[in-house]
Amino acid sequence: MYSRALTRLLDWTLRLDVAINRVYPEDFNPLYYTGGLSNLFLTVLVLSGIFLFLYYIPSFNDAYISVQFITNQVPYGQIVRGVHRYAADGFMIAVLLHFFRNWFTDRFQFSRDEPWISGMMLLLFTGFLGVTGYVLVWDERSQLLVAMTGRTLGAVPWIGGYLQSQWLGSAGVSNLLLPRMLYLHVGLAVLLYILLWWHYVRIRHPKVWPPAVWTLFSLGLIFLLTGLVPAASQPPARPDAVPSSLAVDWLFLLPYVALKVLSPLVLLALAVVITVYGLYIPYQLPETPAALGIRDSGIAQVIDANCTGCELCYYDCPYNAIVMVPSPHPGVTKAAQARKLYAIVLESRCVECGICVGACPFEALELPRLLESDVQQKVVQACRS
Amino acid sequence: MPELGRGPRIVGFLCDFAVDASALTAPDGTMRQLPNVTLIKVPCSGFVRPSWLEFALRNGAEGTFVCGCPLGDCFNRLGNNLIGDRVVQLRRRFERQKIHPDRIATIYFGLHDQEGFLGAVKAFSDHVAQLPGPVVPPPRPAPTRPAAGARPPAGTAAQPAPAPEPSSESGQTAQGES
Repeated sequence: MYSRALTRLLDWTLRLDVAINRVYPEDFNPLYYTGGLSNLFLTVLVLSGIFLFLYYIPSFNDAYISVQFITNQVPYGQIVRGVHRYAADGFMIAVLLHFFRNWFTDRFQFSRDEPWISGMMLLLFTGFLGVTGYVLVWDERSQLLVAMTGRTLGAVPWIGGYLQSQWLGSAGVSNLLLPRMLYLHVGLAVLLYILLWWHYVRIRHPKVWPPAVWTLFSLGLIFLLTGLVPAASQPPARPDAVPSSLAVDWLFLLPYVALKVLSPLVLLALAVVITVYGLYIPYQLPETPAALGIRDSGIAQVIDANCTGCELCYYDCPYNAIVMVPSPHPGVTKAAQARKLYAIVLESRCVECGICVGACPFEALELPRLLESDVQQKVVQACRS
Repeated sequence: MPELGRGPRIVGFLCDFAVDASALTAPDGTMRQLPNVTLIKVPCSGFVRPSWLEFALRNGAEGTFVCGCPLGDCFNRLGNNLIGDRVVQLRRRFERQKIHPDRIATIYFGLHDQEGFLGAVKAFSDHVAQLPGPVVPPPRPAPTRPAAGARPPAGTAAQPAPAPEPSSESGQTAQGES
């Protein structure tokens, strides 16, 4: 039933693509650029975040005031704050679209587990950064978030109290909290870029930016929202009382809403299960060779005699599975005799797509179970029938 | 009712992730509505070597096409863009070789777009049917190499002396790829 549900979701995703392709040209389908859009929003977040960082004061007395100061006194402060606020929403939406799209279209299979695992970690950190960002404003909502987080951490058996004091600075709310949150918000954003490097490292030509039209549209949308609905704080936090109602942001604060119906321990267990399952997704090889059919044509093999070291397969392999090494000995054919380099297929990265076969004009690459002669035989047969 | 045996013979390379043609084809890959079209499944449209398209034309096909996923949606990220570029290069090469470049094409249809795929293949088939002339131009006459030492006197207008450059198919194919 589970696999059937995923197949259904794959169907819907692709049908949605077709529908959107009717509206936009294929090159501009925004669903093909969810990763690039995420990166765009992240860049906007970093740039506006640096501006806000220059004015922010991480202390109980001054945090709220400094945010108000940014909003009301600093030139363009209101705009930059709004941009930071709405770019965060855009980032979360783009990241979730990216996640679901790649999940439903099976783009985690074979050697693509590394982008998937790093992507799961990026997703977790994105949610974490969102929450720490909400705490930094230090209004009523921040106070409530801190209280709820503390209670949830405290509910962990055995080490709950330790976790609470380590993450929040003490059992209750202490002066250490806001500097700590500022560090977690800014420092972990740097970690996001390290994870992004991991996310891209196995990919040959990552689509890092969306098409210019969508860049302009997204930026325009952010500024429009900033102008129409200016970002504002809740009433300031009061040291004497913790508020009881939460102004909900559904994108970032969903787990806190869930706390309304779930006990903290259940929520934590659920989070752990979801995370572990997410990390397990690329390793659940459900497809047998029979089901894979022609997709299971064997890992690409370099034919030593023909390889001229021209690097075309190296440039075209989408997964960086081909590396060029100094040629151990000259090739046999005339074209390959003077080669300096030699192509090697890294088996652990090969997904058996055969793109290198199409790239190679010297017939130096073959998929073992779908040779060039097999294809030519099929062509001849097709022409004869 | 389709007319059996009519229409140009067409070989199509079909990406396994692209349009699901299992309902459109007979077990041997021939399309039910267009019996002149035979589909060959490949693991990715980028797997297709451009020389195979030429091979098909030289072996009796009158048109060949490659069908991939919609541009930007390739499961292997770049396969359909790459085959698109390669086919554009091959068309240029065909123009030099006096093969009509419209005999090869790339089309892009997703898993469920059977109608669009069928329409595109039909349009391609109709277009190929209108193209003039033999698919592959007849080979040029072998260069009449004069016997060594028997140079014809310069300036004899009666000597056509085509001086054909060596047929540069395989070598050019390899070089033009880069």
